[in-house]
Amino acid sequence: MSDRFFRIVRILVESFPKLLIQCLKITIPLTVLSFFFGLILALILALVQVAEIKGLKQFARFYVWIFRGTPLMLQLFVIFYGLPSFGIYFKGFPAAVIAFSLNLAAYNSEIIRSAIQAVPIGQTEAGYMIGLNYFQVMTRIVLPQAARIAFPPLFSSLIGMTKDTSLASSITVIEMMSVAKRIAAVYYEPFWMYMETGFIYLMICTVLTRLQSDFERRLEWKQPIEVKQAIEAVEAENLAHKSRWKVK
Amino acid sequence: MLGVKNLHKSFGNNQVLKGIDFQVDEGEVIAIIGSSGSGKTTLLRCMAFLEQADDGIYTFDDLSKEIRSITRKEIKELRMKMGFVFQSFNLFRNKTALQNVMEGLVVARKMDQKQAEEISMKMLEKVGMTDRANYYPDQLSGGQQQRVAIARALAANPEVIFFDEPTSALDPELTGEVLDVMVKLAEEGTTMVIVTHEMEFARNVADRVIFMENGVVVEEGPAKEILSDPKEEATRRFLRRILRNEEE
Repeated sequence: MSDRFFRIVRILVESFPKLLIQCLKITIPLTVLSFFFGLILALILALVQVAEIKGLKQFARFYVWIFRGTPLMLQLFVIFYGLPSFGIYFKGFPAAVIAFSLNLAAYNSEIIRSAIQAVPIGQTEAGYMIGLNYFQVMTRIVLPQAARIAFPPLFSSLIGMTKDTSLASSITVIEMMSVAKRIAAVYYEPFWMYMETGFIYLMICTVLTRLQSDFERRLEWKQPIEVKQAIEAVEAENLAHKSRWKVK
Repeated sequence: MLGVKNLHKSFGNNQVLKGIDFQVDEGEVIAIIGSSGSGKTTLLRCMAFLEQADDGIYTFDDLSKEIRSITRKEIKELRMKMGFVFQSFNLFRNKTALQNVMEGLVVARKMDQKQAEEISMKMLEKVGMTDRANYYPDQLSGGQQQRVAIARALAANPEVIFFDEPTSALDPELTGEVLDVMVKLAEEGTTMVIVTHEMEFARNVADRVIFMENGVVVEEGPAKEILSDPKEEATRRFLRRILRNEEE
């Protein structure tokens, strides 16, 4: 029994750096790149819908319908295994980045669109009434407010992406999950290997969650009202009342 | 100075304005009264192009045109000469009180930062909000927000300011501070068109009162005359109902 225990510990300790390296080399870059491109595309898809640009708006709806309505795994397969029949070849990593970006864009564009629409129409009207044009109203008033609304769900989508990168193992990308699979197969300790891998994913997401709450705090539109200032204000008011009493 | 002739507006099958003639001269304070659904807010919003009217002649200084033929560029120029104060304040939530007032000067009128700040502080002083210049709207009471909104409307020195039920969204004890500011503006000769339910205020401040019902102007004339001795039965009925409500 104790033999098995030490064996497992040894396997876990030895595999840990291998998993971590693959995580830093593949999983995290894959996540960051896909999220970055996916976000840019999402913003464009959302804006053409909000601005009601004929043709592009319908295209965006169609796009969202397709990429939300089919499995991510299928999208990966189409790009990696399917496109070569048309003479278009991608290596595993770029194919994964493309598939993930396209898929994320569909989900994130809906988040961004609803966030823009959640900004009260009165903000736009007030912007027009002080003489701003559409572009200025969007960039200076609406989008900054929409960003704050969209931030938590976009972060959820980032956290989801981090874990979905494991699907890339199905198109020959050697990311953290594929390494875990191999080691598990060699040593016949799948349970502990996958627990260890899960632990690393969990740690990444813990860091991200922490980042999220930090950013959220920074996004708040609140002036820190200093205690001293508040006390002064109250005292000044009391004084004013007192002097009024004296006059009377 | 500003006027509309035979203004029509429908929302779907619902005819809201049925041929309104309206005129405001420089330095005049006009109160528009009437029960909800009478079309008074729609009239105000049509004059600021926040609603697209269906038909009518629009006059502003030396421009006089069929209202639907007014171009987007002309609308932008006309809005530069107007201020609008909304029922729900509509301060930009992502900007401080000072930034709210400065925005139209810096962005729409390309004024330099320093000069805009100077003017804006002067406007905030006028509404008694200098000590809250760096607060965000969420940190201000309703009355304070509305006073900042008035400062924002004043900043570009408009020829006319529209007020759309400026105190209706406020707690009763906060309406006084907003009305005080408006009395001050009236005394300074600011041209104002005010949709309001505050009869006492209308009586004391307005030069002329317009009573609307079901999308038409039923009666108009000097404030004291209309509010104390109305000719039309509809006006009498409306005033009786309002007074009864106020007593309760």
